[in-house]
Amino acid sequence: MVRAPSGGRTDRPQIRQAVDQDRAAELFHQIVVPHLADGLALARWLAGNASDAEDIVQDACMRALRGLDGYRGGSARAWMLTIVRNTAFSWLARQRSSALVMVGDLADIDEATSANAPGGAELQPTPESELIRQADQRTVTAAIAALSLPTREVLVLRDINGCSYKEIAEVLNLPIGTVMSRLARGRQQLAAAVKRAEQ
Amino acid sequence: MTRIISDDERTALNAFVDGELEAREMAVWASRIAGDRALAAARDEIEATREVVAALERPAVSSDFLARIEAMAAPASATAAKPARRWTEGWQNIAAAVVITALVASSATYYLSSPRGTSFEALVADAHRRSLLAASPVDVLSSDRHTVKPYLDAHLGLSPPAPDLATQGYPLVGGRVEVIGQQPVPTLVYRHNEHTISVVARPGTTAAAAPKPLASGGYNMVEWSGDGFAFTAVSDLEPDELRSFVADYVTATRSP
Repeated sequence: MVRAPSGGRTDRPQIRQAVDQDRAAELFHQIVVPHLADGLALARWLAGNASDAEDIVQDACMRALRGLDGYRGGSARAWMLTIVRNTAFSWLARQRSSALVMVGDLADIDEATSANAPGGAELQPTPESELIRQADQRTVTAAIAALSLPTREVLVLRDINGCSYKEIAEVLNLPIGTVMSRLARGRQQLAAAVKRAEQ
Repeated sequence: MTRIISDDERTALNAFVDGELEAREMAVWASRIAGDRALAAARDEIEATREVVAALERPAVSSDFLARIEAMAAPASATAAKPARRWTEGWQNIAAAVVITALVASSATYYLSSPRGTSFEALVADAHRRSLLAASPVDVLSSDRHTVKPYLDAHLGLSPPAPDLATQGYPLVGGRVEVIGQQPVPTLVYRHNEHTISVVARPGTTAAAAPKPLASGGYNMVEWSGDGFAFTAVSDLEPDELRSFVADYVTATRSP
C-alpha cells in the first residue's frame, strides 16, 4: 500500500520514491504523531524515567516509519503503543537496566499486604478511598514503579494512556480476561501500597 | 456482615468502574453495588486508585522532541536535495527548518498552524475520522460530566463545559485529548442514535461568535465560540441535525 512493489521498476525511480515518501509522511502524521504523548507516557513507566522515554519513543518512531505498511487499520494508538513497548524492551535489554529486574520481588510484599486490605476496608469504607485520594504524586509514582512489570504495564495502559480493554489486549497480545484480572490485581496492590505509605 | 470481595467480583467491579461491561451488566452491577456496602467500598477504592493514577503528571511532548520526530518523515521535497544522507546526519537542519516553520505559522494564525498547510477544518475532520477508526472514540468513557471534566483538567489543565444532553437525544459519551495542528485540545464526544459527534474546543478565544455551518473531508461541521473556547462540532449527521445539536449545547452552557 505504501511501498512500490519490489519488482516494479520505472523509468524514473526517484519520482516513485518521492511519491512514496510523501505518502509515508502523510501516514506518519496521521498514525504515529498523534500518539507521541501516549508513547512517552508508556515508555516512561516501562523505562522508569522520562529522559530514557524520549530516546525510546524516537527509536520507536523510526521503526514505525519503516513499518508503516504493517499497519492494518484498527486502533492506531494500539499499533503505536505496541511498537513503543517492543522498542522499550529491546532498549532495556541493551541497557541492562535494573528497572526491569528489580520489580519482581516487591510484588510479593504487595500481595501479602493486599491480602489484609479487604478486612480493613469493612470497618471504615469511606476513609479508605479518601486516604488514597490524599496521596501525593511521589507516593503514587513509587507505588506504580513497585508493581511487577506485567501488572504495571496493564495499569499504565489503562489509567495513564486511557486505552480500552480491547486496545490493551491488542498491545500486550493477551486475552481480555487476562487483561481484566491483571488490572484488578494491579489496582488492588497499588491501593494497598499507597494506603501503607499514607498511614 | 463483613465479607471478603472475591477475585471475580473485584474484576467485574473494575470493569464496571471502567465502563467496560455490557449495558445490561452495567445495570446489574449498579444495583448490586447499591445493595452491598462491601461492594460499594471496593468500588470507591477502585475509583480513588484510578483517579490518583490518572492525575499523575505525564511527560510533555516538547517542541524540540516533536521537531525531531517530524523531521524523520519530512516530505520528499524537503530531503530531495540530499537523498543519500541518512536522517541522523541531517536531522538538525531539518529540525531547525521545522521549528522556524512552526513559529512563523503559529504567529500568523492558528488556522494555518499545520506545517503541511492543511486547513484547520481538514485537520478536525482527520481527527474525527481517526477517532471513529480507533477501538474507542474516547479516552475517558463516561456519561458523567463530573468524570469527563476532571479527566480533561488532569491531562490539559482546562476543560470546556460538558453538559449532558441525553434528554435532548444527545448523550455525552466521554472525552478525549485530540492533537490538532500540533496542539493538544480537549474534545467532547456525544452520540445521536448511531452517529458520533466530536466537539473540539480550542481555548483562548475571547469573542463570542454565532454558529456557522461548514463542511470538510466528507463531514459536516458547525463552528462557534463563547466561554473562552472556539468550538467545532463535527459529525456525519445531516447539517440540520448537527445545527440543532449545537443549539442545544449552546443553550445548555448559557443557562446559569
